[in-house]
Amino acid sequence: MSPDVLAGLVQATGFLTLTATAIGALIGLIVGMIPGLTISTGIIVLLPATFTLPPDISIALLLGVYVGGMTGGSFSAVLLNIPGTPSAAATGIDGYPMAQRGEAGRALGISITASFLGGLFSFLCLYFIAPTLADFALLFRSQDMFALVFFGLTVICSFAARSLIKGLLSGAIGLAIVTVGQDPVMGTARFTFGNSDILGGVHFLTAMIGLFAVPQLIDNLTDQTGRHVRRQTQLTSVLTRLSDLKAIQRSVGVGSVIGAFLGVLPGAGGPIAAFISYDYARKSSKTPEAFGHGSPEGIAAPEAANNAVTGAALIPMMTLGIPGDPVTAILIGALIIHGLAPGPLLFVQRGDFAYGMIFSFLWANILNFVIALAALRLLVKALATPRALLMPTIAVLCVIGSYSLRNNIFDVYVMLVFGVIGLAMRWLDMPVVPLLLALVLGEQLEKQLRVALTSSTGDIAIFFTSPISLTFLSLSALSIAWSLYSARRFAISRRKESST
Amino acid sequence: MPGRLGGRACVPAGTGMRRRNIAAAVGLIVCGLVYGYLAWGLPVRSLPNTPGPSFFPLVVTAILIALAAALLVQALATNDSAGTPTPDDAGTSAVDRRFGIFALAVLLGYIALLPILGFVLATAPFFAVLMVIYGERRPLLVVAGAVIMTVILYGLFRHAFGIFLPRGLLAGIVA
Repeated sequence: MSPDVLAGLVQATGFLTLTATAIGALIGLIVGMIPGLTISTGIIVLLPATFTLPPDISIALLLGVYVGGMTGGSFSAVLLNIPGTPSAAATGIDGYPMAQRGEAGRALGISITASFLGGLFSFLCLYFIAPTLADFALLFRSQDMFALVFFGLTVICSFAARSLIKGLLSGAIGLAIVTVGQDPVMGTARFTFGNSDILGGVHFLTAMIGLFAVPQLIDNLTDQTGRHVRRQTQLTSVLTRLSDLKAIQRSVGVGSVIGAFLGVLPGAGGPIAAFISYDYARKSSKTPEAFGHGSPEGIAAPEAANNAVTGAALIPMMTLGIPGDPVTAILIGALIIHGLAPGPLLFVQRGDFAYGMIFSFLWANILNFVIALAALRLLVKALATPRALLMPTIAVLCVIGSYSLRNNIFDVYVMLVFGVIGLAMRWLDMPVVPLLLALVLGEQLEKQLRVALTSSTGDIAIFFTSPISLTFLSLSALSIAWSLYSARRFAISRRKESST
Repeated sequence: MPGRLGGRACVPAGTGMRRRNIAAAVGLIVCGLVYGYLAWGLPVRSLPNTPGPSFFPLVVTAILIALAAALLVQALATNDSAGTPTPDDAGTSAVDRRFGIFALAVLLGYIALLPILGFVLATAPFFAVLMVIYGERRPLLVVAGAVIMTVILYGLFRHAFGIFLPRGLLAGIVA
């Protein structure tokens, strides 16, 4: 065992770190199960509380929320048929019918167990793949890094939106915003209009709070979902039976592999993984007719998948600095606030921390499993939390979060502006995720582009002569082409449907 | 993939989305032009044949305008002769929008008052108003909820997490 691995294990297993992980998992379970609250929002509002904590404890806490949130989303999906998170939408298809049969405890037990197993699988992927990928990424030069970041952005723009143009536009708006402030190479002030508050640029966490939390607060003003639904907390035993374990082993395997694979890809995320796994599990099941009527396999496959996404999404985040989804983007922000830059150098310069993070992820899964099973009856009572108390609290936490980044009220105004931008984008059916990721990756994109062009004295051939760069640029083109092809196919099928 | 659109079909006909897309495209083209103009005027500080501070913003300008133009063409080419809002857009959404605008105005007022009144004095009434907006009508619960939650949040962030929150008028009174 290398010294970094050992140091990481010790770091993650410290009492305070474990306590933070457990608290994070508990908060995550609650945040995940409450309809109207996403994991991203939960982490965002919790973030200010971590500013004064040591980085290992902060990240352990946030990882706990990430993992717990994924599991918690299934609780409301099973009990109320209202997914607490988008990733849990597929779980309700079979979880809710099983709960209606009076087997809510069994459904939740299967869900928790499958989540745990999916999470463990993704831990193994993270543990074995991340360091190797980081070693490989050390070979990257500026043109390769540019191509990689460009690839990450185009994939997300292509797949995050129903319209490719809107996805790309969202990313372009983000890139325009990221140019406000000092330029990353020469420090020239751009678009600041002499205002020193903007010189440091728009902090993407401020933008993130606005883009995600404010629209959610507005949505909850009129959204009646779950408002009148109270609870179905008469739970029988939640421990998964041996017969159920045998029944779900194939779907857990399928879900874990699909979830881990899609988790590595930027932009795919939990919801897609969950639905693809559900579909695949149904097709490969011996009893496909049971799906939709409370099949244990139908619960296990999506739950294993969405939890397998979590660890896998950490792989590109930790090794390449490319976030795969909003949550990992927030985690990048958290790391940067603590003076740590995710990317290949993380494993070289702070290998102990990188492995500590990986082991904290493992602990998050274990503790999440234990807490979810032990405190399930108590946890589901959170479903009855009055919205009139919850939403104002979140609003205040958003303000505190924006303010406390730099102790500057200007950032709170920026948060509000981004809230309005988020609402406008929703009105236009334009996704916010590409904008957000452009804010996270934009500076890196510009920096690598300019460094590469400077080293080649302005010759763009540098991007096509490097095999790594060429590969990523080709993949970018492929993702856009695929998106266009899918759109075309969908348009044709719609026309056929409407004509028949 | 179902639901993934990119061609003409991505503009749902009859929902008013066409008009929104046209407005957004025009707005973004104007913004892109202004942004490009400002980028063009950035100081040139670079070596020969190397990109300066305005290089990336100009690239983004070109991309932004090209994409906005594509959105405009796509929206104009969409056969949505009505272009009128459906009841969903005009009915419920109008009420939603009024609620939303009011909530945003309350939030703006809160942010404006925060540095002047301080966290405690600004947050309690803000919290109370939001509780009412979110459906709580019992006065005692509103007042108690607002005061208790404000104190808890202040205590938690100021004392447990060491975050300095504005004290405003209560500077010297609260720690």
